[in-house]
Amino acid sequence: MGTYVLRRVLMMPVLLLGLVTVAFIVSRTVPADPLSTVVSERQLSNPVVVHAAEKRWGLDKPLPAQYVIYVRNLLRGDMGTSFRTKQNVRQDLEDRLPVTVELTLASMAIAVTVGLVLGILAAVRRNSWVDHVARLFALFGSSLPVFWTGLFLLYIFYARLGWFPGPGRLDPRAVGPDKVTGMYTVDSLLAGDLGTFWDALQHIALPSFVLGWAVMGIISRLVRASLLEVLNQDYVRTARAKGLTERSVIITHALRNALIPVLTIIGISFAVLITGAVLTESIFSWPGIGSYAVDSSRALDFPAIMGVSILGGVIFLVTNLVTDMTYVLVDPRIRLS
Amino acid sequence: MHSGYEFGGPQMKNVKKSRWLIALFALAAVAMLAVACGGDDDSGGSTSAGNDKPLVIARDMDINSMDPSRAYCDTCQIYLSATYDTLIGLDPKDNKTFIPRVAEKWEGNADRTQYTFHLNKKANFADGTALTATDVKWSFERLANVKGSAAYFMDGITSIDIPDPQTVIIKLAASDSSFLAKVNATYAGIINSKVAAANGATNGKDADTTDKAEAWFLKNSAGGGPYTLANYTEGAEIRLARNDKYWGDKPALKEVIIKQVKDAVTQRQQLETGDADIAMQLDPDTAKKVNNKSVTIKEVPSFNFVYIALSPGAKDNKIDLNSNIREAVRAALDYDGIIQVTLGGGGKKQAAAIPNGFLGTKNLPLPKRDLVKAKQLLKDGGQPNGFEIDAIYPNVNVYGVDFNTMMQKIQSDLAEVGIKLKLQPVEFTVWVAKIRGDGIPFTAVYFAPDHTDPIQYVQYFGMVPGSPWSARAGGKATPLINQAEVDLSAKALAANSDEEREKLYESIGKEMIKDAIHLPIVNPNLELAYRSNIDGMHYSACCNLEVARLKRK
Repeated sequence: MGTYVLRRVLMMPVLLLGLVTVAFIVSRTVPADPLSTVVSERQLSNPVVVHAAEKRWGLDKPLPAQYVIYVRNLLRGDMGTSFRTKQNVRQDLEDRLPVTVELTLASMAIAVTVGLVLGILAAVRRNSWVDHVARLFALFGSSLPVFWTGLFLLYIFYARLGWFPGPGRLDPRAVGPDKVTGMYTVDSLLAGDLGTFWDALQHIALPSFVLGWAVMGIISRLVRASLLEVLNQDYVRTARAKGLTERSVIITHALRNALIPVLTIIGISFAVLITGAVLTESIFSWPGIGSYAVDSSRALDFPAIMGVSILGGVIFLVTNLVTDMTYVLVDPRIRLS
Repeated sequence: MHSGYEFGGPQMKNVKKSRWLIALFALAAVAMLAVACGGDDDSGGSTSAGNDKPLVIARDMDINSMDPSRAYCDTCQIYLSATYDTLIGLDPKDNKTFIPRVAEKWEGNADRTQYTFHLNKKANFADGTALTATDVKWSFERLANVKGSAAYFMDGITSIDIPDPQTVIIKLAASDSSFLAKVNATYAGIINSKVAAANGATNGKDADTTDKAEAWFLKNSAGGGPYTLANYTEGAEIRLARNDKYWGDKPALKEVIIKQVKDAVTQRQQLETGDADIAMQLDPDTAKKVNNKSVTIKEVPSFNFVYIALSPGAKDNKIDLNSNIREAVRAALDYDGIIQVTLGGGGKKQAAAIPNGFLGTKNLPLPKRDLVKAKQLLKDGGQPNGFEIDAIYPNVNVYGVDFNTMMQKIQSDLAEVGIKLKLQPVEFTVWVAKIRGDGIPFTAVYFAPDHTDPIQYVQYFGMVPGSPWSARAGGKATPLINQAEVDLSAKALAANSDEEREKLYESIGKEMIKDAIHLPIVNPNLELAYRSNIDGMHYSACCNLEVARLKRK
């Protein structure tokens, strides 16, 4: 397995270079004008201002030269300066990624916990009211658009009932904890600031539920289907014949085997949630990677688009590798080659 | 060897595992419930009463830079007016009268080619050092030389003399009666030159390539305004702390936070719950839904407007968009209906591409729908049966106007006289590429003022040399020129009295109407939405909102 992992890790830079090249070509060939991000539309007819901006942002050079400069800087760890935020892109990503990771981890925690419980209950109580409720819950989660769910839940639980706090990562007037990881829940705990931790926990609850609901539905349905299939296997029948309790049969024998396809979904979902949290981030005013990616794309902010593409590529490659490795741990029959 | 499943030991282990799982699920459920029930806890936020409590402004921010010489956006105006002093201020009561600020008095010569500013000796920066003429000269030179979007404010300056620390004499190459409006603009804020230079800023001629301070300005302010920058987190917040060394009237509020909140509905919710004290971008429809005694909604006129533009000289244009045809389009539009559909009636009609409220607009004739006239004009223009044309416009929602909704209504209005619009909403960057490239025969856009003088509209919309729309309307090789506008604007720039300037701008407005290149659709009202315990809420023509004027009752 060690050789396999090493080979996969060594392949990553090659794949990333391919990704950088494709992203560079695609972003540069769209029929749009990136100057509109750095120069006001009113001044785009002013040759002095336009020339200064092109020179400053390297847009006066031919595309191949721009590509070479970008790759050369990238190899030195310099991802360039964002047209839009005027910060180094690496700094932007360092600021934004922990926000999305925190939201995604919370979403995954909710999605996996609730999804597993619902899936198991639905399989064990097949065709009972529990199964029907779980199916309905999964259906809503998978089919309702995130922007609608987000706005609806905000309206009900924040604006009307006041049970949950509003958008943002903390109370609007509160000051965030000192940055260690960039995740407020973690950093506030590290600082021993329970008040801020509680504030952060309250603020993450609603957006993480909204983001995790769709995945929760998929996981619960997959666990149900997988468990039902496994429950009909001979070894489960044998376990029952040996007199094991039903709980032991399900949790210890059936669930472990039923989890293999679920792990695939969890792995993929993590990457999808990280890169697809944009609507949730926008609705709940979370300054994460998703909203950064969209704002950058709309502004044709080349350095930022490239940075997000590279980050997304790394996340997908790493999660795929981790998922593949987890298969082996869950099912020793699987051998990586 | 026995399988581990057959005997009590492993079974017990499994039972323990399942109990552990159940306990975990229960813990998760309890945590969710606890979180759900804890919504009102205010821990983490400062809750001390009155003006010590931070004031929160909910706003969809459009920050392009925090550097005063490079910034150019609506939110920038709010930020800069709080952190950097300008030579002169604007009275928010009428949005017209200039008032002393760093300059306690000023005068211009007869032909408006020279302005002298006398600085207040008390003026200082947030670090306590004196604000002098040297800083004014340095700031203006840097604004010009970094060649950012607001550099044109300094166009025409031939020299800046500083005979003593409290006197600034600015000489211009040509008459410019709008110069006071330009130095009143937030982009002309005075920077602490020593502090900025120590952090990579320069006012040199080559500042566009040698100035390295923009990143520093993201975390620091270097002005003498009533507030200083305490924190800026891109995409999240701008946090302003009161400048306790401010030399003028000290602001009441200790801390002001501008929070990034994307949509109007969430802004409204935050305002109603008290999480925000001010919601800055409520559209009329959303504002009407506010039903809370603790919230005040006031509709005030704005200086923004939305217009459609016809460019007969655009390269792709296949229709002869002569003046009769352009007038026909103007006459076919149901302005009241559009204002109703887009803003629920929360806007006004506008005559020319100079918004209502600016000098010279009072007596301009407002457009009105006349289908008979529109059909006759189409006939006179050689298109008796109408025509088909692509309408390419940015897919945006500004000032509460959703461009798709507006364009659908315009499409339906024009269809009544036989003009078929093919709507093509595009991203703003795509729109810019098209308008800069071959031009767009039929488009829709928006405009907000940079400063308080009407000349900016002539220089941008007028058919005068150098105006972007002169080249867009006529084509790059053959820009449209209206000589009357050229002559009148030269006179207006040299005029010495507001009465004279008003007459001249009225004449210019009439010429712009005759051009019929820009057809203003609506001058949207602005919804001032704030908690009722806030005093001093206003709309400022120079700064959008001067936060130093706000306080809690």
